[in-house]
Amino acid sequence: MKAGLEVHQQLATGKLFCACPSELTEEVGPTFVRRLRATSGENLRVDRAASLQAERGLRYRYETGPANCLVDMDEEPPHPMNEAALDTALTLAVLLDARPVDEIAVMRKIVIDGSNTSGFQRTALIAMGGHLDLASGRSVSIQSICLEEDAARRMGEESGEVTYRLDRLGIPLIEIATGPDVRSGPEAREVAEEIGALLRATRRVRRGIGTIREDLNVSTDGGQRIEIKGVQELRLVHEYVEGEVRRQEVLLAVREALRARQAHVGDPGGVDVTARFSDIVQGPLSAASRHEGPILALALPGFGGLLRSAPGSDERLGRELADQARAAGLRGLLHSDELPNYGVTADHVAAVRADLGSGPDDAFALLTDRSPERARGALRRVAERAAAALDGIPGETRDPLPDGRTRYSRPLPGGDRMYPETDVPPIPVTPERIARIRARLPERPSARLARLAHDHGLGTEVVRQVVYGDLEDRFEELTGRGHSPVLVARLLTQELPAAAPDGGFEPSPATLDALLGAAESGRIAKEGIPTVLRGLANGAPSVEAAIGAAGLGGFTAQDLDAVVARVVDANAELVRRRGPESFSALMGDVMKEVRGRRDGREVAEALRRAIARGGRGPDAVGAA
Amino acid sequence: MAAPETSDPWDHLRALPMGRRVEISDGAGHTWTGTVVPRHELSGDRILPLKLDNGYNIGILIEPGFRVRELPPAPSPPTNGVSSPAPTPSGTSPVVLLTTGGTIASRVDYTTGGVRPVREEREILAFYPELAHSGPVRIVPVFDRLSENIVPADWPILARHVVESFAAGARGVVVAHGTDTLGFTAAALAFLLRDLPGPVVLVGAQRSPDRPSSDGSSNLDAAVTLARDGRFGEVVVLMHAGLSDDRFAIHRATWVRKMHSSRRDAFESRNAPPLGRVESGRVHLDQPAAPPASGPPRVDGPLDDRAVLLWMYPGLDPTVADRFVDGQRGVVLAGTGLGHTAATHLDWIRRRVAAGTVVAMTTQCLGGNADPYVYATGRELLEAGVTYLDDLLPETAYVKMLWALGHAPEPDGVRRLLRQSLAGEFLDRHRPAGAA
Ligand SMILES: [Zn+2]
Repeated sequence: MKAGLEVHQQLATGKLFCACPSELTEEVGPTFVRRLRATSGENLRVDRAASLQAERGLRYRYETGPANCLVDMDEEPPHPMNEAALDTALTLAVLLDARPVDEIAVMRKIVIDGSNTSGFQRTALIAMGGHLDLASGRSVSIQSICLEEDAARRMGEESGEVTYRLDRLGIPLIEIATGPDVRSGPEAREVAEEIGALLRATRRVRRGIGTIREDLNVSTDGGQRIEIKGVQELRLVHEYVEGEVRRQEVLLAVREALRARQAHVGDPGGVDVTARFSDIVQGPLSAASRHEGPILALALPGFGGLLRSAPGSDERLGRELADQARAAGLRGLLHSDELPNYGVTADHVAAVRADLGSGPDDAFALLTDRSPERARGALRRVAERAAAALDGIPGETRDPLPDGRTRYSRPLPGGDRMYPETDVPPIPVTPERIARIRARLPERPSARLARLAHDHGLGTEVVRQVVYGDLEDRFEELTGRGHSPVLVARLLTQELPAAAPDGGFEPSPATLDALLGAAESGRIAKEGIPTVLRGLANGAPSVEAAIGAAGLGGFTAQDLDAVVARVVDANAELVRRRGPESFSALMGDVMKEVRGRRDGREVAEALRRAIARGGRGPDAVGAA
Repeated sequence: MAAPETSDPWDHLRALPMGRRVEISDGAGHTWTGTVVPRHELSGDRILPLKLDNGYNIGILIEPGFRVRELPPAPSPPTNGVSSPAPTPSGTSPVVLLTTGGTIASRVDYTTGGVRPVREEREILAFYPELAHSGPVRIVPVFDRLSENIVPADWPILARHVVESFAAGARGVVVAHGTDTLGFTAAALAFLLRDLPGPVVLVGAQRSPDRPSSDGSSNLDAAVTLARDGRFGEVVVLMHAGLSDDRFAIHRATWVRKMHSSRRDAFESRNAPPLGRVESGRVHLDQPAAPPASGPPRVDGPLDDRAVLLWMYPGLDPTVADRFVDGQRGVVLAGTGLGHTAATHLDWIRRRVAAGTVVAMTTQCLGGNADPYVYATGRELLEAGVTYLDDLLPETAYVKMLWALGHAPEPDGVRRLLRQSLAGEFLDRHRPAGAA
């Protein structure tokens, strides 16, 4: 397999072509409505099909707010390009050993889905070439570094009107595209992490979910290029890549089987089999579910048994077909490999087979929709996709799903329609500017890793997690407040992620400061940190409240001694007989009572002392 | 033929025709492949603009040691060609669209980076293929100039085209015009055209039609609707009413002014709300407009352009102002506040009036009346012979001055015409905006 990545990182420099802040907001002010139309662009050409059909009637509503000005609303020409954003892109160019262009030409990339008020995205190629060196010793080539505007946020769609919020529009994005040099899923993740760390090293990037997005281009031998667009979860990058490879393997195996059987696709007009289902009362084909729409069948001769998953795999051709039906606006489809089921009986199946003249090696798909026209359109798409299965894997764009799988989204876009943004003059990239950037390069992640490991006496692996897991700022802040680097590293890399495995829990630095302080002062044991974090993740208003709710606080050294004395007394015979060797037997009993309330080392010492005293508790000592 | 090794590659490259594919090597391991595109007029020295295969343009500084290789041309993408006019339903009288250039009929010029007007009907139809969908539209190119280059001598020519259009059976006339001076042209047509049997609608665009978000398309669509369905006989301006593409304001030609350099809703009626609006393809008149005339329309010319417009401001040297009026028959002052000038200007104004120059006063506040009676300065100006023009916009007053000069040989006659209502330009009632 071959894979390449496109990393898109938002910058915190303020917007690219106006003076608005790079901030998202929940505050919504006035809205306005626009229509966009395909235009002739450079060569005086009109994409007439697009302008007259697809775009006619689509309205876009834009929500404005505190992060907007007339530029974002396409009511004022763009201002000169944000210098700090450009410097950041050039910094990346230098860090990646790419060759900046000598004069930047800002381009308009036509986008008429409404996500840009202007109908185009402003984008500029800043540098080409370069390479990213990985810890493994491998090197991945860099194709291009671009600087562009982020699009507006899509908030919803209702009766032909799509609503976008303009806060995100115009936030600078650095786009770094690698060559198709990535050889495995884990390597894809390593590349994403390395580029992410380089970008963060500039300290000019936005942070948090959605501020960095990856597009993954994956192709295998025999497959077309697949673009997985908009991956936000770095930890899933390798899963998407590996999942895509598995999907392509399954589909290529299906192709071989289809070819061996000389399978083909029936009439893409479909056959109306509605009458065969007059008695069906439940499931998606019931009259109530389909709102009296027709049921259409597509014959798939030779496809029998090949639409369902292969053993041990979740991938199947049936899902690919259903994705097409969904893309055409249907809820899905039923195929014969999964029938009888969903209210469809063996008799129904036999009746459809009779209508289609299908044999046992043949398959069929059933589609329905309240709109006969939409159902027919969907059936044509499903037929096309089934026919493509005989060739292999069609190139397409896929959406990443939260579970690490992907779903068909749309065909691969054709060449971008780009023409010059005439409102922005060309921007020279002078040797002086590059020299100034070279003189102020940020610390590279690898250097930072070595420095943190050295300064804090930490292992490389844990520091790697800190630097590449976007934790270095918090690490430096907390150690800067005097907390133990070991404790801080463990908190950030292990205990914090474990406290809320699903994410969404981001305690403030002050909270973490208070928590570490409680552990270091002995108010709670270090072992109690996960318990307090869980309490906070579940809504405790403060560290103190979480400690109180978990019953961890107020357990003094005296309380510990009392527990130890009780355990030793209860096992007096064992202690007398085995002396210090009774320690491990008793430690478990003591920990059962005091875990998280006192430090483990302190507990062990108290127990050893008590055992050495031969089972006489502190009271007895005091009495002697 | 390859260039000799010793020659400067820049000499070779700058002589290449646009569209030639080349490969450039810098000798340090970097190679660029792309198509030579026109240089931007602000590009640096020795910068070669190249369109890469991925669509991006970049500029490469060509140094003497660079190597250039010419490549065979890449296959060019198929062009859809320029569409031909849609067949127009017969039997209905058409709307005539007169084009003059301006953003609404401009395209990007990739050499200068600016926009340039289109010249031909087919180019306009290429931008607005849907133009004739709702009814017959005839396109008549008149000028191909950005509106900053329109001069007063053009206004009677345009007025004659309007008259001819009606004579040829037009239901209404749309004039596509650049927005910079659209207000001047609108006022001029209002004074020049008499007995209009239907609407004359001036329309423009604040965003060039080569961008998907251009307001040209929706403005033009609404203007054609207004010209076809409007039941009135006067000159109006139609532009966006707000930032949305679904509401358009109808402004009386003499009340309107461009009040913003870039917004879609830059045009405002001053002193009164717009006459009406076009919404969801329907015309709504909120105030009375001149009814359509039954007689044939005519051009009521000529204009005499021997007049100037002078903006008064602190520090304006009276001798400079005086010299500015040399050789003119009239001057419109955009005075401060209620229509004032510094007392230092009284002297030259008195002299000029005595010598037969018509001096008219408007307010640079662009709202409310010029009124000579409130302050002593006003009374002195009035005594000096200045003609106060109430709530006329300075630009409207200037255009009216040219018309009046063309219609009266004597200053008194000019002054009388200036004070007379000719095209609904004066408002005797100023209502508070947004009043309940
Ligand atoms: Zn802004």
